[in-house]
Amino acid sequence: MHFSEDDLREALKRKDPGEGFTQRTMGSVNQARVNQSQSESKPVLAKPEKKSNGAFLGWLMHRPAWAIAVVAILLLAFGIGGYQYSEYRHAEEMRIARAKQQQLQQEAERARDQAIMALEIARAKMNHVLRHAQLQAEPNDKIRRERL
Amino acid sequence: MNLATRKLTRILIAAVLCFSAARSFGQDANARLQLANLDKLSEKAARVTDVTLDGSLLQFAVNLIEKVDAEDKDVEQLKSIIKNLKGIYIKSFEFDEASQYSKGDVDAIRSQLTSPRWSKIVQSIEKRRNEYDEIYVLKNGDKVGGVVILVAEARELTVVNLVGEVPMDKVASLERHLAPGEKHSDKPKQKKESGHDQE
Repeated sequence: MHFSEDDLREALKRKDPGEGFTQRTMGSVNQARVNQSQSESKPVLAKPEKKSNGAFLGWLMHRPAWAIAVVAILLLAFGIGGYQYSEYRHAEEMRIARAKQQQLQQEAERARDQAIMALEIARAKMNHVLRHAQLQAEPNDKIRRERL
Repeated sequence: MNLATRKLTRILIAAVLCFSAARSFGQDANARLQLANLDKLSEKAARVTDVTLDGSLLQFAVNLIEKVDAEDKDVEQLKSIIKNLKGIYIKSFEFDEASQYSKGDVDAIRSQLTSPRWSKIVQSIEKRRNEYDEIYVLKNGDKVGGVVILVAEARELTVVNLVGEVPMDKVASLERHLAPGEKHSDKPKQKKESGHDQE
C-alpha cells in the first residue's frame, strides 16, 4: 500500500474535537480516580472480625426449627441437672439428719446404761453400808464377826 | 386496780419466781459435791468408775427409759427413781493394796457435808478393818433433795452422789438384774461391777 504525501497531510491535519470535549475528558479522568480509590479501600472494609456466635446465631436465625431444638435441649439439660442437684442435696440432708439422729440415739443409750449402772452401784453401796451398820448393831460380837 | 398497782404486782410475782428458781438452783448446787480432788487417785487405783450424768444427758436417759415397756415391774421402779433425779455422780476407786488414799481425801468430802441441811443417817465404822461407811441425806422440806453414800475402806474409796428427789427405799430395793450388762445384753458392758454385789 502506498500513501502519498497529500494523504498523510490530510490524515494528520488538526481536527476540531467538538463541544464538551474538555468536560467529557475530565469526567473520564474523575471516574477513573473514583474507581481506583474504591478498589483500594474495599479490601480493608471487607475484612470484619470473625464472630463465631454471631455466625452461629445468624445461622440459627435462618433455621427456626434448629433454634427451637437447641433451646429445648438446653432447657432439658438444665432441668435434669437442677433436678439431680436437688435430689443430691435432699439425699445429703437426709444422710446428715440420719447421722445426727443415730448419734443422739447412741448418746441416749449410753446415758441410759450409765444411769442404770450408777443406780446399780448406788443400790449396792447403800445396801453394803446398811448391812454393815445393821451387823454392828447386833449384840453378839462373835456372830457379827463371822458374818462380816 | 390502777396502773401502778398492776406494775407492782407484776414485779412482785417476777421477784417471787426468781427467788424460788434461785433457791431451787441453790439447793441442787448444794446437793452436788465437788469430787475433783479424788481424780488424782485414778493413777493408783486398779479399777476406776467415774459417772457424771446430769442435764441433757440425764434427760436423754430418762426419756429412753420411759419409752421402755412399762409392764416390767423393775423398769417401772427404775423410772420412778430416775424421773426426779437431777444428777448422778459417782467416783469409785478399788486398789490392789491398802492405804492408797489419805484421810485428807475423805475429809475433803466430809467437809462438804457439814452444813446443817445434810444429815448423816447411817454410819458404820470398823476400825480394825479400817472401814468407814456413811450415808448422808440432804433435807429439802419433807423430801430428800440429795444423797451421798461414802464407802471408805482399806482397798476401796467410793462416793455416790445422787442429786434431786431420791426415793431411798426404792433405790435400796432395786433388783440387781437391772444392771445393763444383764438385762440389756445388747448394750455396752458396764465399766465396773460393784464389789459388794456378792454379799
